[in-house]
Amino acid sequence: MDLILNKRDPIYLQVIHFLKKEIVAGHLRPGEEIPSRRQLANDLKINPNTVQRAYSEMEAENLIHTEPNRPSKITEDPNVLRQLKSEWVNHAVKDFVSAIRNVDISIEEVTELITTEMNHTKTGG
Amino acid sequence: MLEVIDIHKNFGRKKVLNGVSFTADKGDITCLIGINGVGKTTILNSIMNLTPIKKGEILIDGQPQSPSMYNKIAFIPDASIILPGMTVQEAIDFMKDYYSVWNDKRAKDLIRFFRLKATDKIQDLSKGNQAKINLLVGLSLDVDYILMDEPFSGIDIFTREQIAEVFSSRLVEDRGVLITTHEIADIEHLIDKVVLLDDGAIIKEFYAEEMRENEGMSVVDVMREAFNA
Repeated sequence: MDLILNKRDPIYLQVIHFLKKEIVAGHLRPGEEIPSRRQLANDLKINPNTVQRAYSEMEAENLIHTEPNRPSKITEDPNVLRQLKSEWVNHAVKDFVSAIRNVDISIEEVTELITTEMNHTKTGG
Repeated sequence: MLEVIDIHKNFGRKKVLNGVSFTADKGDITCLIGINGVGKTTILNSIMNLTPIKKGEILIDGQPQSPSMYNKIAFIPDASIILPGMTVQEAIDFMKDYYSVWNDKRAKDLIRFFRLKATDKIQDLSKGNQAKINLLVGLSLDVDYILMDEPFSGIDIFTREQIAEVFSSRLVEDRGVLITTHEIADIEHLIDKVVLLDDGAIIKEFYAEEMRENEGMSVVDVMREAFNA
């Protein structure tokens, strides 16, 4: 797990953000087991109570499921996954748009830049 | 819960503790931080009844201090406590006879965890590895509370990392840990609660994650403000 934590945001939110990113990116697949609370705490060098809180919040959002004495798993519910993905992309688009809002550039140019960038990253550049 | 209630302590005419109150819960890692030296170790010594206090009270799970209470607490001091001529295994055997709450399986796990060798002679170990022996002894006791005095002081960065791993491991699971330190950077993400001590009094007591969530402040941010640095 590759996560660099900052010191000012709540750690449980940083953990949730990281796991959501892994799900959206397909690095964590639907139904895949995630590390135990203890394991993740150890990997990230954070407090197990904090991981517990992150997992509880994700359970409440139906993003993960836990049966007693079993590892937690990523949800397989397509609706939940679809919603996560659209939230994630919406967020990214909002951030992007707010960053270029006052820049003198046409929507056509922006679209072209995005297309080029997406092709570039897809071919592994 | 460990409760320290309004304790006072003088060394001669010098006031060292001037009405110190705070709590440390089971299952939490509580960090007692002071930027200038005085007071932290005295507080741990007071909890262990190693030094008499002038005024105030210390409760362990709601009970006043008594000899039997000390089967519930392990104290890991800053200074080396093991006879240097012993090997790691000899030290463990010595402690096993001495403590009724010794957990031999955990001691063996800890040798592996700390990457030590049972046959190593303690006096030949580096300062960092000697500090691990100290921790090994304290953590091998089946107790509810663990007090650690400056576990990171004067120790190289790699050993500090290994020691920090203790806090996210099963080794302290469900136990209450109270540690003193003046170096917060290594463990800022690991601790639950912070107690700031200045001039013999507690100036702030807070949960690190709540501070991040509600104020957007890191532990060091809060310290900077509290100590007016």
